Amino acid sequence: MNTSTDYYIPKPSPHDPDELGHFGIYGGRYVPETLMPVLEQLKADYEAVRFDPEFWGQVHYYYQHYVGRPSPLYYAENLSRELGSAIYLKREDLNHTGAHKINHTVAQAILAKRLGKKKIIAETGAGQHGVATATVAALFGLECEIFMGAKDVARQELNVFRMKLLGARVHTVESGSRTLKDAMNDAIRHWVTHARDTFYVIGTVAGPHPYPMMIRDIQSIIGWEARTQIQEAAGTLPDKVIACIGGGSNAIGIFNHFLEDEGVECIGIEAGGLGLDSKHGASLAKGSPGVLHGQMSYLLQDDDGQILEAHSISAGLDYPGIGPEHAYLKDERIVTYDHITDTEALDAFVWLSQQEGIIPAFESAHAVAYLKKMPREALLGKTILINLSGRGDKDMIQAKEMLHFE
Amino acid sequence: MKKLVAYITTGYPEKYFTVDLALALAEAGVDTLEMGIPFSDPVADGPIIEQANLRALQAGFALEDLFEISREIGPMIDTLWMGYFNPFYHKRMETFIARARAADVHGFIIPDLPYEEAQPYKPMMEEAGLSLIDFIAPTDTPERIAMIAKDARKFLYLVAYAGITGSGKSEDLAPVVERIRTHTDTPVYVGFGVNEHTARDKAQGVDGVIVGSAFVKVLMDDLLTPTHKIARVVEMAREIKERINE
Repeated sequence: MNTSTDYYIPKPSPHDPDELGHFGIYGGRYVPETLMPVLEQLKADYEAVRFDPEFWGQVHYYYQHYVGRPSPLYYAENLSRELGSAIYLKREDLNHTGAHKINHTVAQAILAKRLGKKKIIAETGAGQHGVATATVAALFGLECEIFMGAKDVARQELNVFRMKLLGARVHTVESGSRTLKDAMNDAIRHWVTHARDTFYVIGTVAGPHPYPMMIRDIQSIIGWEARTQIQEAAGTLPDKVIACIGGGSNAIGIFNHFLEDEGVECIGIEAGGLGLDSKHGASLAKGSPGVLHGQMSYLLQDDDGQILEAHSISAGLDYPGIGPEHAYLKDERIVTYDHITDTEALDAFVWLSQQEGIIPAFESAHAVAYLKKMPREALLGKTILINLSGRGDKDMIQAKEMLHFE
Repeated sequence: MKKLVAYITTGYPEKYFTVDLALALAEAGVDTLEMGIPFSDPVADGPIIEQANLRALQAGFALEDLFEISREIGPMIDTLWMGYFNPFYHKRMETFIARARAADVHGFIIPDLPYEEAQPYKPMMEEAGLSLIDFIAPTDTPERIAMIAKDARKFLYLVAYAGITGSGKSEDLAPVVERIRTHTDTPVYVGFGVNEHTARDKAQGVDGVIVGSAFVKVLMDDLLTPTHKIARVVEMAREIKERINE
């Protein structure tokens, strides 16, 4: 883009949080006192590099030579023909380690190194963020511990093996719903105890300030690249930008550079699970404002404010909360949110595989599935940008259980 | 006389047990009771209190139970509600304040509501004559200690170490306590990792101790009958009260 450098450096957003990290009423820092000085320090440390060309130059080096950025923008010709529109896929699935998660682990690891931390920890759901964290730990010579719910350890055994192969220690979390929520509880507990030498690499645009802002800044490289790419390829800005949402990092990453364009509708797709009247992960659709994991945002909760278990076919979307900026963007009607069920996502998983030869992650299949949920006339003649946030390799064992081919 | 604050998880194994236990602790010389409100995701707590929280919820604990039994407990002993912020926010702080006043409960301890986020709620607590207890951690900067200490009400909850409840770690708190004293006369109570063995050391230089996991561990011992659990906790409470005042 037309900045003084030819690589990505974040820019201030009109939706930046206030000094205390609030996006409207959302965000903030709801953590035990022990973590407050740590977060104050991290905020100062991040602000020191936020617009620093030298820091982002270092990040850029690894993006280009290690991750494989820029990720391609692919014109999906068979889908486009079938739907009568121009469908473009932002191929984050082609990144090293198979998803957009590597973007924020590279940048956070470089920051951790700068701050002299020796250890990094992370929570993981699908295992993509865990693998991406273990990867940068190996690359930068940091000790690494990953927290993962027992249910996810079982359904994502390949990623567990990958993390161990990369040299990380994986803690299986047996408490609560034994998924991402509980993994994050234990990661926070570990961090409270070890904050002096440990950097917590949070895996999405959630958690206490400055994480939601910092990770949004980092992931916004997706939209920064895609904006230029689609203008070159299609000669126009997209009519719609679609991305799946668990915590919301890939979605905010691609949306952020389109939020100020009047003609562009950004659409975030939550996990509809077994349907919104049954078990699901649609915090925005069915939740209400509340506090979990250091932030205020929409939450799935009962009448007493106890957190409910989420459900999704996709471990990465199986979370009862959502990043605070999404809560704000929903209330302000800046972004549209909808949901896709397990069944619809699985259909799209097969559809994209067989029409384009691209096997998406279950998470990303939710975004693809929205093409079939939208009314046909909303698509006709339109230019659509989809963030294909990850590839489906990790989901093969689970898919094999559910799909039966001749 | 140094004070003893006892934390117990409300509603485990069931609510009337909590009433019996609270009254027994009042008789044993406990100065203040912290009624823990079970929460699904207690991130500041170690495995013992986390388990007690989850078991109480599985046994059907509801906030109405807390409100109901507090009316019996509040008049008998100085009582605070200790819980994570989400239920307070979801049910509205005003609701909790009204219910607390009706039950003669004197304040709240909310570990995931740090000083900055607590500001909107302080005036309404003050107006209702209730205390919102502030925390100070050994990792806090001198500026932060000054900021928190100057507004403190009832007592300051000094976290004994950087970590979660119920671990055995220890840090030298003397410089932190000294610093707090330059800003306020509010008593300083130390919590996290206090049990019958560590109480005397932990009480050095402070005005009281807060004991949680050590008591809850007894409540979780399935080999003890309810009567034995109460007897054992009372015995520990007496012992701790004696030791901190030796």
